[in-house]
Amino acid sequence: MKFQLIFPKWNKLPGQTTFNLPPHGAVVFAATIPDYVDVEFIDENLEEMRYDDSVDFVGISMLLTTQIKRGWAIADEYRKRGKKVIFGGISTMLHAEETMLHADSVFLGEAEGHIEQVFADFRNNQLKPVYNHMNDLPPIEIVGPARRSVLKRDLYYHKGVQMVDLFHASRGCKYSCYPCAVSYLGGRNFRPRPIHRVVEELETIENNRLFIVDNSLAQDTQWEKDLFKAMIPMKKKWCSHTIEDKHEVLDLAAQAGAWYVYQAVFDTSDYIKERVKRYHEYGIGVEGTILLGLDDQTEDDIKRLIDFLLEIDLDLAEFTVLAPFPHTKAYTDLVKQNRIFDKDWDHYNAGQVVYHPKHMSAERLQELYQYAWDTFYKDETQEEKMFKLLKKVVSREIEDGTFKKRRQDLSGISFGKQVKRNITS
Amino acid sequence: MENVYQDQVYQFKGLWDVPSICGLKIIKKLKNTIVIATDLFDENPGTSITEWNTKLAKDICDKNQIDYKQLIYIEHTPDKKTKLSFNHESFFKVNFEIRDDKFVNPQWSEITKDEVNNLMNE
Repeated sequence: MKFQLIFPKWNKLPGQTTFNLPPHGAVVFAATIPDYVDVEFIDENLEEMRYDDSVDFVGISMLLTTQIKRGWAIADEYRKRGKKVIFGGISTMLHAEETMLHADSVFLGEAEGHIEQVFADFRNNQLKPVYNHMNDLPPIEIVGPARRSVLKRDLYYHKGVQMVDLFHASRGCKYSCYPCAVSYLGGRNFRPRPIHRVVEELETIENNRLFIVDNSLAQDTQWEKDLFKAMIPMKKKWCSHTIEDKHEVLDLAAQAGAWYVYQAVFDTSDYIKERVKRYHEYGIGVEGTILLGLDDQTEDDIKRLIDFLLEIDLDLAEFTVLAPFPHTKAYTDLVKQNRIFDKDWDHYNAGQVVYHPKHMSAERLQELYQYAWDTFYKDETQEEKMFKLLKKVVSREIEDGTFKKRRQDLSGISFGKQVKRNITS
Repeated sequence: MENVYQDQVYQFKGLWDVPSICGLKIIKKLKNTIVIATDLFDENPGTSITEWNTKLAKDICDKNQIDYKQLIYIEHTPDKKTKLSFNHESFFKVNFEIRDDKFVNPQWSEITKDEVNNLMNE
């Protein structure tokens, strides 16, 4: 049986450096598909769709809210051709009821332990409209390793440099942050994977550079330390979301190859300043993630915050505007207050204002978002700052003997396409 | 600290049958019944009271013999004790349309704590 697994494309934010990373959810899901199924993966960000391929069953893996309308359109095309389509993934769970209108089936929840049944039902022509496993999370021990062999590897190179591989060491989150849907998606309990299972998966990944995509590793100190200790001999280099800034954790993280971490910067406090400093003391870079448009922020607050970012020596900064994703407190608050004016999911890209902010107009917040990007990267572009971070990791790789030269055969190619050179005579 | 807006923890099946909880207080008056549903945030493993309010309000009415037409339904979000304003305490009165024995089209209007207390003590 041939199963075509699609990762729909989405519109990238204008003005930002675009990298196409190998998707994670799709390869985690692919690992749960029975062996008798031949899986072909299409990342539409890098490949054209092929609706007329001879396939038996189609899966659409959706990560982002900005993918869902495209996912629906793809499903409609396949279904016109008589193919059955099943949806899964994070944004399927966020938008399940709407997605059901475009699907033969939607899968809700985590795939491990449940997908054999889905394919058996398909073969028996008894596919169910909904596989609801939202309240039936699998034991974390059975998760992984992901099936990265379905990826067309050469597509994830920029001028011969391989992009990071995505990887997860835990699921769920004990925090319930205002703009975040992770607790709805993965449960309100932090579920760390057993360290030996994490190591087993890491050993399957040839790539030396990783992005650990867990919502936050800073949820169980002992496990976090055990994880980093186990990673030290592997000599991987990685970026991740927040890790704890206790000295013993940072020391182990640095030894384990911490390259840079994402740190939410929400105010101009000494707490943030000191935290960034501590990361740097251990040679760990910091990319600030700055959410604009919360009800606490006035125009002056936003401008002060941007000035502060320039003072605290961040390596990179990523600005977003609040996107009220369904199943978050941000969404329910704004719905109650009747403040959402744009319900086009394509616009929920965290770069476009879709609600009325409390202390300014939507237009003004949009301007301040642009101002933030422009001001932070005024003296050094995002690409230049990224290159600096890359140089740091290359030095460390050279020191520990893990550096791999860029692939010469792909040096003129960026994400599967020839690089256009602007040579003027 | 005693929460005067909650007498019990109410269990309900939320979106996709996920077990969910909220705080609940029911005050039966001569002419109407006040129902206060309280969001329990991190303690609630499932769906929020706001997302599920049309079904939750009907469920509470049906189980407690409350006449839909006499319902005054209030959503309460307690103070999360942070400095962030969106985590402060709030009360919203929710009006529903009743169609085919279902609650639909919720409309929220924010009310003050004093207004809630006055309603309770009237």
